[in-house]
Amino acid sequence: MSNITLTEDEKDVLQELMNVAYGNATAIVADMLDAFASLSIPNIKIMQTAELLNELHDLKGDSYFFSTQAFAGEFSGESAFFIDNESAQNLALHLELETDEDLQDAILELTNVLTSSLTTRLAKEMNTEVKFSLPSISKIPLNEMDQNDSFKEYSQVIVIDTQLNFEDQKINGEIFILTKDGSIEWLKNQLNNILEAMM
Amino acid sequence: MKYLVTDDSKLARLSIVKSLKAHVGDAEIFQAENGEVAVALVKEHKPDVVFLDLTMPVLDGYGALPLIKECNQKIKVIVVSADIQEQAKTKVMALGAEMHIQKPINADKMQEILELI
Repeated sequence: MSNITLTEDEKDVLQELMNVAYGNATAIVADMLDAFASLSIPNIKIMQTAELLNELHDLKGDSYFFSTQAFAGEFSGESAFFIDNESAQNLALHLELETDEDLQDAILELTNVLTSSLTTRLAKEMNTEVKFSLPSISKIPLNEMDQNDSFKEYSQVIVIDTQLNFEDQKINGEIFILTKDGSIEWLKNQLNNILEAMM
Repeated sequence: MKYLVTDDSKLARLSIVKSLKAHVGDAEIFQAENGEVAVALVKEHKPDVVFLDLTMPVLDGYGALPLIKECNQKIKVIVVSADIQEQAKTKVMALGAEMHIQKPINADKMQEILELI
């Protein structure tokens, strides 16, 4: 198994690109929900899948709506959006949704808009394009997260983790972008090209 | 003219400094990695223009902006942020920012900014 790492400079560049991409995505979602969201500083790590699953156990709440959307291209992987039960119910209240089906539909649309705008902008900043598959959703207890197919095909992943927080509506979500070894190598190369252009 | 560029990202600072240098040549440009350092550098070097990010550790842009204006009301603060929500803009303008610009700033955008201030 390869063991790729990011230097501090590479992390800095990726964090800044992610910050720009996330700001853009949040503005779109905030407009969609007619609410104001706060931005967090993106947290970036390369880790083994087992480590990621351990970290997910630290998320608050017993069960989550978990939606994912795969993307393909030079930069390929999967974006995942977690929203806990309480936040999901607050989202339903905010959007005046009455059924679970409507709520799942809203979360899927939120995932689609959030992750596709986020990943598209991130790809644009790295001078490439990505294609998306349809998002899917499941509701799972965290202790069954390691059964999820999304994580099985990854050995080492780069995890870009940011919080989506609509304070007034008490809606919190967490977004992860997962990429595989080949994309991590490609990403490192692009980050260094960007950095060199700045020097 | 003296300039202060505040951002926790080295890339973001380098990007702004590079665009700035293309227009202002040898002007003095200082750099800060968070709001707290920015306030200290404002007190020490008295810059005329401050480029300020919003999302930063230690002290963010919302916290630093009033402290910077408290040092000198005439300082022009340009908020440069990924947060392009209307409420963020309204908030920083109320705190005394000159303008709220979406990241990243290229040389053309920098020229527009410098012409406006």
